[in-house]
Amino acid sequence: MADGEITTLLREWRDGKPQAIDRLFEAVYPRLREIAGALFRGESLEQMLQPTGVVNELFLKLVQQRTLRFEDREHFYSLSARLMRRVLIDHARARRSQKRDGGTAVPLEERLAWIEADDVDLLDLDRALDELDALDSRKCHMAEMRFFLGFSAEETAQLLCVSKATVDRELRFVRGWMFERLRRSGP
Amino acid sequence: MKSYEDWQRLQELFELALNTPEAERASELETAGADPQLRARILQMVQGVEHEASVAGEAPACDGRRLGACTLLRLIDTGGMGAVYLAERLIGGVPQRVALKVLAPRFAAASFLERFRREQHILASLEHTHITRLLDAGVGQDGEPYLVMEYVEGTHIDRYCDARHLDVSARIGLLIEVAEAIAYAHRNLIVHLDLKPSNILVTEAGVVKVLDFGASKLLAPDQGGTTTLMATPAYAAPEQLRGEVVTTACDIYSLGAVLFYLLSGGRVESNSLPVAIENALREREPQALGSGVDIDAAMVRGVSPARLRQILRGDIGTIVGKCLRPRGRERYTSVDALLQDLRRYLEGRPVLARPHTGAYLLGKYVRRHRLGVTAGALILMTVLSTLLYAGWRQQQAVREGQRALAMQSFVYRLFKVANAKYTGKPAATVPEFLQLGARLVSQFIKDPYDLRRAQLGLAESMLENDDLAAARALFNDVATSARVAGDVSALVEAEAFGGNAAYLQGDEREGEQRTARALALAADSAVPIAVRVWAETFYAWNRDNNGYRTQENLELLQRAATQARASHLPAREVADVLYNLASDVELRGDLARSEALLRQALDAYGADPTTLCDRSKVLGDLAWNAQMAGNLAKSLPLYQQAYAGYAECSGPDSRGALSEREFLAGALTRLGRGGEGYELMRNALPLWRRLDGTTPDFAEPLNFMTLAELATRRYAAAEGHAREMVEVQTGKVDPQDRRFGMSHLLWAEALVGQGRNADALPHARIAAQLLARNAVSPGARQAGRDAQELLTKIQSDPPPAGATAP
Repeated sequence: MADGEITTLLREWRDGKPQAIDRLFEAVYPRLREIAGALFRGESLEQMLQPTGVVNELFLKLVQQRTLRFEDREHFYSLSARLMRRVLIDHARARRSQKRDGGTAVPLEERLAWIEADDVDLLDLDRALDELDALDSRKCHMAEMRFFLGFSAEETAQLLCVSKATVDRELRFVRGWMFERLRRSGP
Repeated sequence: MKSYEDWQRLQELFELALNTPEAERASELETAGADPQLRARILQMVQGVEHEASVAGEAPACDGRRLGACTLLRLIDTGGMGAVYLAERLIGGVPQRVALKVLAPRFAAASFLERFRREQHILASLEHTHITRLLDAGVGQDGEPYLVMEYVEGTHIDRYCDARHLDVSARIGLLIEVAEAIAYAHRNLIVHLDLKPSNILVTEAGVVKVLDFGASKLLAPDQGGTTTLMATPAYAAPEQLRGEVVTTACDIYSLGAVLFYLLSGGRVESNSLPVAIENALREREPQALGSGVDIDAAMVRGVSPARLRQILRGDIGTIVGKCLRPRGRERYTSVDALLQDLRRYLEGRPVLARPHTGAYLLGKYVRRHRLGVTAGALILMTVLSTLLYAGWRQQQAVREGQRALAMQSFVYRLFKVANAKYTGKPAATVPEFLQLGARLVSQFIKDPYDLRRAQLGLAESMLENDDLAAARALFNDVATSARVAGDVSALVEAEAFGGNAAYLQGDEREGEQRTARALALAADSAVPIAVRVWAETFYAWNRDNNGYRTQENLELLQRAATQARASHLPAREVADVLYNLASDVELRGDLARSEALLRQALDAYGADPTTLCDRSKVLGDLAWNAQMAGNLAKSLPLYQQAYAGYAECSGPDSRGALSEREFLAGALTRLGRGGEGYELMRNALPLWRRLDGTTPDFAEPLNFMTLAELATRRYAAAEGHAREMVEVQTGKVDPQDRRFGMSHLLWAEALVGQGRNADALPHARIAAQLLARNAVSPGARQAGRDAQELLTKIQSDPPPAGATAP
């Protein structure tokens, strides 16, 4: 991608042009996909597999190549979180038939682990997040960063330029809301 | 629930419920106006959050789980990388309490165990009061890697300090213990790379224990990977965050960041990786220590906020600031240097963190090193830097794991052997140690390519330490092996340096042959630029200094300088080449151009404390240049700087310092400050006598002594020293040499001063005759005129009674 193009696309995406995300996928998605694939296969990569690490590495690379500007950090991470969510959900969809036969658990951030424990379908989670996005897209971004990229509350707060207390409070709400929402639609 | 208002309300009610005791929730919500459906919904939400909290609060079960020889007892701590358990390890029937760190499977690089086996002997050898040892490592049934460490009961250092309300000095005292551990590890080639308060425990008895030594090395990705993601952002060096090659300077940064936190209670850098990365890429300057002090921070340190700020803005702020420089080369050159400053601070002595005085620390080290003092750590560091230097030259050598490891293992064994009975007695000096290394290196580094590089490193270090014979022999070995193997790069390096060593030993013929061979082969594309530059420099410079002052030499040196610059060789090497070029230009009498080149060399050496001796050498040359151009006033401060620099970097009694000192004395004397010149020479002369007393070189300090004595009317003493000048040169220097002329001129002046004109006459005649010829520099021409004037004066004065004309 040309200099600054990711920046431009990110802005378009944030300004509500959904088609921009497809172009962004070309740049970012394959890398995330590759990592997610390795995660699911349970492979020991030579590199770190944590989504946070992967995305940070990508960010570092793009900034060093000057494909991305620092100022768009927040957009970039929001997008990556969204993409990571898509990667993981896609994967879950593909593996749906094999679920529970000793196959693979989707590696969510540990604090969402109870959702799995309650046997809630990940696709329901996806739908619930779409709903949350429609209601309050900021909370959705926050949740994606925290739960799909594995950022700490402190990191999430810094990226979104809010206090950690705000992130804690809002995410507590999201978790409560999500729990109730999934219970309702669950089995 | 579709509108914004509903959504806001849902959040408010949820908060309300969360903050209300469980029994009153339903009624509170009702009071707030929530209908039964909404109430049920919110109670569900709260239940979900609380359920989650109870799940998260459960410690992972141990129930006697076994990992290798260990049985887990209880969970101690959880962190980013995994969980730490107290465990019992059964080795030979004796149970031992250990700490067992279980890592997420993602940390298990395929090479984890292999790497552990390679590193084990080095890690296990780290025995230090303040280091917890890594005992074992393995991979569990589910692929989770684990590390077994000594178990230490203690508190994180920051919590320990705050709980006891330790003051600033006590906190620095604890950090000194941490730094001692790091310094020790660095001497053993282990960098920590993940120093942070939670990796530093303090026991109930107040003893510091640093955890996780070697962990970063075991877990770091193999080649091409980055350690960026391993680091804890708030304490990681910028270069670590940028994914660059990590060095001991990273640990120095982390020590600074930990100290920053312990002292001020604030973090030097955000703990958010993206933010930290951004700052690292921008090379942002760290904030000043003490800028973010608050009341709480001051209270747990037992002082008022204003007083704490005042303390932290003082010298300790400078020390911390020097650790936290964005660029590694601007930090302390070693943990030892940092330690020294911290101790000085606690003792109330001035610290050395100020930019140029940092060199003082290194100067001390070099001074001891030059004297060949036996200090294990010191010698090890010498060899280390030698090997690393060679590797750094080859650009890629040390970075490759296997190779670095072979080097490490070699150095480690060498250190043991040098202290043990291998040779019947411990290696006492640097040259002895290097020779031992040369004998043993082939047993540790089996790959012939790597072996040659290690040998080159050793030989170049021998050269630096003036062990010319040993260096030449080793360069010969490498050249032979490299020729057979077709390793052109090593061949050129061995021939170039070997040739230089031959020249230094006075073997001009071999020197010329070998440097010429190196030069001829240096054009090969396999030869790294740095080596090519050296081949050109050694050839041209030595020829120039041995009488073949050709245009070709000058062009070669110019080309070497251009290449060195264009290829971004390390600044120090660029500076070396510029210096050589400058001295050849000076030999050709082009003082202005030589001065410009010397200034460039000075710039290139920069402020790096390890180049202090080199810079002093350049300053001395600049001073000489100014003196040759007849500008004594300009030369004086330059001589002063050169002298001060050498005194710092190699000791006040070193040849370099003594040499600049005599020139300084000479300049002072000529500027009418003979008293100061005399004082400088009076103490130096016995040292010179010990160094050179029986050689014609001793005439030089005698010359400056005599000049100062004449200027201060100490004629009898001057006569004695002038006579001695002639004596040490007689039979060893061409009787027609200008040096004799100078000696006799001074002798004549000493006699005239005593009113013995008749005795002075024959000396004045010789002086006038010898000094009239071949006067190149203004100074020399002046000496010629002085001699003629003196002769005229003596001849026109009537001889006192009793004196006889020759």
